[in-house]
Amino acid sequence: MEQISAMMDGELDEAQMARQLARLRTEPGLQESWGTFHVIGDALRGERRLSDTLARQVLEKLEVEPTVLAPRRTAAKRMRTYVLSAAASLSAVALVGWLAFFNSPLVPQTQIATAPPKAAPSVTAVSAPQISNVPSDGTMNEYLIAHQEYSPSTAIQGLAPYIRTVSGSQPATGR
Amino acid sequence: MKGAWSLVALGLSLPAWSAEPSGPEDGLSWLRIMASASRQLNYTGTFVYRHGNETEASRIVHFVNEAGGEFEKLETLDGPPREVIRTNDQVTCYLPSTKTILIEKRSARRFPVLFPVELTSSLTDHYEVRQTGMDRAAGYDCRIVALVPKDRLRYGHQFCAEASSGLPLRAKTFNEKGVLLESFAFTELRLGGKFDRDQVKSAYAAKSQDWKVGRSASRSTDRPGRTGWVLANELPGFRKLTESQRSIAGRQATVSHLVYSDGLAAVSVFIEPLPKTMPTRNLSHQGAVNIYVRLVSDYMVTALGEVPAETVMRIANSLEYRGGTGR
Repeated sequence: MEQISAMMDGELDEAQMARQLARLRTEPGLQESWGTFHVIGDALRGERRLSDTLARQVLEKLEVEPTVLAPRRTAAKRMRTYVLSAAASLSAVALVGWLAFFNSPLVPQTQIATAPPKAAPSVTAVSAPQISNVPSDGTMNEYLIAHQEYSPSTAIQGLAPYIRTVSGSQPATGR
Repeated sequence: MKGAWSLVALGLSLPAWSAEPSGPEDGLSWLRIMASASRQLNYTGTFVYRHGNETEASRIVHFVNEAGGEFEKLETLDGPPREVIRTNDQVTCYLPSTKTILIEKRSARRFPVLFPVELTSSLTDHYEVRQTGMDRAAGYDCRIVALVPKDRLRYGHQFCAEASSGLPLRAKTFNEKGVLLESFAFTELRLGGKFDRDQVKSAYAAKSQDWKVGRSASRSTDRPGRTGWVLANELPGFRKLTESQRSIAGRQATVSHLVYSDGLAAVSVFIEPLPKTMPTRNLSHQGAVNIYVRLVSDYMVTALGEVPAETVMRIANSLEYRGGTGR
């Protein structure tokens, strides 16, 4: 239990992290704890809706993720664990990001991964090329347009990047 | 070695780079040239936008009149018709299938006219800027400028700028694994041409009288400065560009809008009171733009930008309300 909490707070080193993730994969009891931590954290922060799915996504990821995963090292260590659960759910958010984006744990920061594109066939909802598109209800289009005005890419390319914002506004096309 | 791998990851050939070495300053000045070319030139062409397995062709017309006014029109050629019109500081999207018009009006202070020096001066701290040779696009010779990120907080970019005018003919974005995320490329282009107002008018201008209209406008002029929201931990290289209270189409309440940029990529953070219906996902993307939603007490925070998901998540997660003004 303490290890789970430490893991979520980013306090474990790589080897410990790997061991805990391996345990999470195999021990149903621990999986429950993992979920419980999120519920507590969510309740404290009033965030129940959003990260309800988070713990589940991590667990789903664990099911398909055979490799050793890198913990969030430096940034997480800087973070003070003043409230366990709040910190825990923060780290969990970061962890999901890492689960999704760090398939290869030993890639140095400054090096773009040299693995071929096909090396990332993960199927969770959160990994980069596979994450689902903006829900086509149009709630993000206004934000995308508002953002585009301030984006340096608009400076370089003019109106062209706006194609993104109008692409997502066509649910009927089934894209 | 790292540099070499990055270049390989960006699909660039080493010999081309070795044969034509040049300093990062040249690359930076090409970025500025590209930015000014796309604003100041008259051009008409067709470009293809590619993301994931989707491709979409669009027609684009850009004119500058004698007074320096900027007029631009983008119309999609594939799928349902859509149009985006720029008239100086106002951008209007026409979406005929839903009979909707979205209008985005900037405050008078234009950004970015060109890359601001204070941003680009630190660009090389976070990207390797390289000119990696020549290529051809849409029948024009073009010069390749690549920006290879030095960390995982930003994407890699590669531009090919028309050799004489500097107009970007091709733009590619690569993720942290060096995989192409999206690209824009002209397939046909005519440089020059005389200003013609009709060519940059919407085909829907007359038919859209009874369409739904959503207006967004920055109110930074009347409510300058602070929103009360700050980042507890700033991300390396990302500096706050603007901060404003504003109206957003389709939203009743005033929204706080903060923009962070490393000079090339930008992340917008929007903070609004909890909406009645929440987005169904907290992490999603639109092309190379990642979108992350999180709740902070009674507010919904949306961070989005053409950066890796980790970056929007870290920015959103470090957002705090420190008070000072009305939210």
